[in-house]
Amino acid sequence: MIATPNLINKVVSGITTWARVNSPWIIHFNSGSCNGCDIEILATLTPYYDIERFGIKLKGSPRHADVLICTGPVTRQARSRLLRIYEQMPEPKFVVAVGSCGISGGTFAGCYNIVGHIDEVLPVDAYIPGCPPRPEAIIDGVVKLLTHLKNGTRPEPIKPQLGEQA
Amino acid sequence: METVLAITSIMFFPAGISLILGGMLYEWADRKLVARFQNRIGPRWFQPLADTIKLISKEEIQPLGVNRALFFGLPVVALAGALTAALYVPIFGLQPAHSFPGDLIVTLYLLSLLTMCTGLAGWNSDSRFSIVGATRTLTQLFAYEAPFLLALLGPAMAADSWQISKIVAYTETHWMIVLQPVGFVIALIGLMGKLELPPFDAPEAETEIVAGALTEYSGRGLALFHIGKSVEMVVGVTLVTAFYLGGLGNPLIFLAKTLGLLLVMAFLQSVLVRLRIDQTVGMWWRAGAILALLQILALIVLK
Ligand code: SF4
Repeated sequence: MIATPNLINKVVSGITTWARVNSPWIIHFNSGSCNGCDIEILATLTPYYDIERFGIKLKGSPRHADVLICTGPVTRQARSRLLRIYEQMPEPKFVVAVGSCGISGGTFAGCYNIVGHIDEVLPVDAYIPGCPPRPEAIIDGVVKLLTHLKNGTRPEPIKPQLGEQA
Repeated sequence: METVLAITSIMFFPAGISLILGGMLYEWADRKLVARFQNRIGPRWFQPLADTIKLISKEEIQPLGVNRALFFGLPVVALAGALTAALYVPIFGLQPAHSFPGDLIVTLYLLSLLTMCTGLAGWNSDSRFSIVGATRTLTQLFAYEAPFLLALLGPAMAADSWQISKIVAYTETHWMIVLQPVGFVIALIGLMGKLELPPFDAPEAETEIVAGALTEYSGRGLALFHIGKSVEMVVGVTLVTAFYLGGLGNPLIFLAKTLGLLLVMAFLQSVLVRLRIDQTVGMWWRAGAILALLQILALIVLK
């Protein structure tokens, strides 16, 4: 009898994890990228790559989304917007940083107008390197995130190696 | 015994759980067909189920500035309206669970309840996107509702009854799509308007107004609205099929007919682009309503 609630909890959490892994809805935010990464993300959403196979859907409203896909370094102006969008998303939520700029500031590192890379503002769950990453790489990154969710672990946070300027 | 039967019919069959699952299957079929028309692989068969469970298990945020009772009540009312409508409709080709003279009108109004609730939900919110979406939803409601009603009135007048089961018994021997082709086209397009499918998706145009009236909804509320919409899809498709495509007959054949209708709807969705809201209203009132009226006039004259 004592084990029953545990069992129910296990089954329920198994079902919700299954649902979560199979239906990640994404929202895309550009916090100061050069637009190269955004074009690649849009290419990923085209019928050619068909990410609806994995249940991924692009949503316009942060209230509907599960995964926030960020591109670019965070500029001083975009910082508050990025945070606001993140806070508008319902729990559980995940962040994917796309592109070298999102990981380390990339080509913009050390500029006067940027706060830094995305990790300095939000807790990032997955990084997709590349300048810009190919659509295949983006899909691979999202699938990696989903695999980690399935196993109940968060992806290892990789602390980006920064140069002296940052 | 009566009460037990009533409760079963609301909770499990024909309304309730079986209908929700059926709605999910129809939604998947629709999405898959659209995907195939776009030369994609499309979602897996359990996709709507996964979406719904995920949404239900997510946090539900109550935004600032909304009326709490309305915010949490509207999704429930919307789903309840759609489920109740199913009681009077021959779902999956089986006889309707309840029937009384004039149930056609009740069903049509129950079907509009979802749209009304969506509109109110947008209005209740402080977000400007929701308010624009709500305005568009309600404007569009006034555009397609009358022609859709007139289109379903055609078979009812031919059968001399306002009772769905009597009309269906009549259409079994008379293929209304042949006798009233105009009505069929209007009913089909009206159904697409009701479900806010392209080209009538201006109320939830994500490129302009984020997600329309439901922008501020998350988690459970959004899930209930989604379920309500797929239930409405089942009810609407069933109604149009039963009225225009030769009644009920064999449940299996009936199912095939509804799937055929879904195929046509998916085709129209993937070849047409979104209309502006003024174009939608203009089209419905300049062409839709007048054609429907003409057909009814012809029906009265010929009868
Ligand atoms: S990673 Fe490259 S493509 Fe992406 S935003 Fe930075 S500079 Fe542009």
